[in-house]
Amino acid sequence: MNIDNSTSLFPLSQLNFSRQIKGNETEIIISRYDDHFLVIATQIGTMGTMLYARKEEGVSINPTFNVSVIFGKRDEPMLIACARQLIEHLSLSGSSRPLVLSLGLKDHSAETLKGIVSAVIDNSTW
Amino acid sequence: MDSEGLEKKIEELKLKEENGNVQTQAQGQLQIITFSELINDVSLHFQIIRFPKQIYVWIGYNTAKLGHMYAAATTRPNNMVSVTSILGGVSDNTGSGIAHRLVLKTGLNVILSCSIPKNSPMIEVWLLSLTHSHICMLTLSIGKLCPF
Repeated sequence: MNIDNSTSLFPLSQLNFSRQIKGNETEIIISRYDDHFLVIATQIGTMGTMLYARKEEGVSINPTFNVSVIFGKRDEPMLIACARQLIEHLSLSGSSRPLVLSLGLKDHSAETLKGIVSAVIDNSTW
Repeated sequence: MDSEGLEKKIEELKLKEENGNVQTQAQGQLQIITFSELINDVSLHFQIIRFPKQIYVWIGYNTAKLGHMYAAATTRPNNMVSVTSILGGVSDNTGSGIAHRLVLKTGLNVILSCSIPKNSPMIEVWLLSLTHSHICMLTLSIGKLCPF
């Protein structure tokens, strides 16, 4: 696992590691920008489908979230569910930054996506 | 900055790289490079993530914000480059122009995030040379020849 926390000049902190999810080697990169988080999870060597998830400030106490696909497959509900889980976890950890999530996966089964969510949650320090 | 000054700067940067001012991490098939440069009183930050056939580039212009995101690639049938804005609509074409030229120079699919203001043409040329030289070095170090 590589953790790079802002060297004297570089303003981003990023974290990258590998994990086996359902038998597939998955590379995960989490980058923290001033106003966003970027999470890339790839099994196929490309960034794959990109999603954008953000918390919406509303009148009620419970926050609502908006998740949309900004690039790639728009007919895969499991990817949207994955982004939704991550943005909710992000919000519960106290951050209101939007999330850009990039998933390049070999399969879109529930097991794989649960694996991605737990890998990111276990290792992130939102 | 004139072109001689640019070339000098590129050489200086290559030297710095050999001396370790540039952070590189390799992980499996991916390679991540991060570095910063101060040009004309502007801090430029670069994050380049090299996938086998794709590149993600983030360029921070005095900021650590994500900026606007563009996707660019060659498209069939005649390999013309297409660019689209995928996050953060903006009316100027600075970012999309850089993404376009990155594809032309590297031949890879490019996802670019940047916050460079328009009307800074020297910065663009500088950026392109910098980013390209680093992508070439990445390409060389993972065993392929840089085609340009």
